[in-house]
Amino acid sequence: MPRMWWVVGVVVLAAIFSAYLGWTAQRVERLHARAQSAERALDAHLVRRAAAAAVVAEHGDRVELYAAARLALDADPGDRESAENDLTRQLRAMNLDPQDPAARALVNTSRRVVLARQVHTDLVRDALSARRRVLVRVLRLSRRHPRPEYFDIVEPTMPELPPPLTVPGPTPPPQRPVQAV
Amino acid sequence: MRIGIVSPYSFDVPGGVQNHIMDLAEALISLGHVVSVLAPADDDAELPAYVVSAGRALPLPYNGSVARIAFGPVSTARVRRWLKNGEFDVLHVHEPLSPSLSFLAVLSARGPVVATFHTAMTRSRALAGLQSFLQPVIEKITARIAVSELARKVQVEHLGGGAVEIPNGVAVAKFVNAEPLPGWPGSGGAIGFLGRFTEPRKGFPLLRTAFVTLAAKRPDLRLLVAGPGDRDELYEDIPEELHDRVEFLGLVSESDKARMLRSVDVYVAPNTGGESFGMILTEAMAAGAAIAASDLDAFRRVLDGGRAGALFPNGDASALTSLLGDLLDDPERRAELASCARTVVATFDWPSVANRVLEVYATSIEATDGRVFDDEWS
Repeated sequence: MPRMWWVVGVVVLAAIFSAYLGWTAQRVERLHARAQSAERALDAHLVRRAAAAAVVAEHGDRVELYAAARLALDADPGDRESAENDLTRQLRAMNLDPQDPAARALVNTSRRVVLARQVHTDLVRDALSARRRVLVRVLRLSRRHPRPEYFDIVEPTMPELPPPLTVPGPTPPPQRPVQAV
Repeated sequence: MRIGIVSPYSFDVPGGVQNHIMDLAEALISLGHVVSVLAPADDDAELPAYVVSAGRALPLPYNGSVARIAFGPVSTARVRRWLKNGEFDVLHVHEPLSPSLSFLAVLSARGPVVATFHTAMTRSRALAGLQSFLQPVIEKITARIAVSELARKVQVEHLGGGAVEIPNGVAVAKFVNAEPLPGWPGSGGAIGFLGRFTEPRKGFPLLRTAFVTLAAKRPDLRLLVAGPGDRDELYEDIPEELHDRVEFLGLVSESDKARMLRSVDVYVAPNTGGESFGMILTEAMAAGAAIAASDLDAFRRVLDGGRAGALFPNGDASALTSLLGDLLDDPERRAELASCARTVVATFDWPSVANRVLEVYATSIEATDGRVFDDEWS
């Protein structure tokens, strides 16, 4: 019954292929969903940074900084990248007072923007590389998802402020096994 | 937050990655988080309360050394069960691309995954060959942490994708409270060195030259050396009459290291290159020693451009000699350096390093399910 085996073989192959197809479709779905979440998170952190910058600007009467923060908050999607870059430039040129809670909040939100941007870039790259796979392209598995876009801004790092003058003493850690250097 | 951490290596054997994981877990717990660490271990091994055993570890040659790791169907089942019971908000794996529990955990994970890369892996060709095979695993990782600039570079160049650099922490309290060795530092001046003195890039010969010159004029100056190496080799190049003023401790335990660093007036790091971070400097800073270090980029960065420790031109023995002379004669300057060092080292203290890691966790959770966190941990 050689013919029979042939049929079984085809059925098994078809089953494997469709399992692979299902797995790939799921993977494409997941990668796009993550890229989207990352984009929302990045957006939220950029808004938070602009708001923190506005607070610092108001405290210190810095008109230019306030304007840059305002522009970053109101920018259209097309102008957003350059508006955020302007804000980053302004923030870097500033001398912040380490004792001012608003300044500390600003440095903290900037750090979160750096992380959110890093993760967003990685996830967009993963999604785009999944879109480039032959199977995905031929079967147009990604057609239901908008193409994720990189958010191209300069690294928004700010210099860390020195710790505030009162550093609480750390509690002694529990006993640990002795270890050689 | 509920945090699951996976260690690729067994806690039966001490090592850098295991120490890092224990310190991190303890810091996170002290900040009020729920932490469970999954690690290979013998079932009757004594483990900290937060460690869950994933079964026996087998010695396997990996990356140039023998690692005791667990891998296989039994381990997979245990990893799955641990993940299911743990209900973690975030999974933190270490060295996920080694054949280990970490790899298995990433494979089985559904939610946000943070990965820390410790080694700067050099077998990049093997890794590049496996890249397309590993891609489904790599893309499950939401955020990556590298513990050094070098580890980050390897990340970026060979695996694609960036990584956040968060250095190792130092348990400052352990060093601050350590008891100096009996009779040290004494009144005649004490200099310390820790490391493999036979290795040229550690720069011990520079310190030896400086010490021999200084000791001729200072009858009570002493040198304290710790680290792996042969006793005779150390004394070989030191003039006979100075032998009783050089004390050699050999390889020291973590707690003796802290005591040793507390026992000197000046800690010297004469390294001539190849340092990516300078962990030992943060430890010396925590111990409150004044530091004299060569002006490598890594050291300059850790020492805040020279405010938290004096720098001398790399490889210049006579500059080191005069710097050490100045520091030994000037207790006020030493106190000033030490107090500045204490402020700087606070950023390397485990609780503050753990806070930076928590920010990565939050970012990773946000990117997975769209929740956005207020900066309650910063």
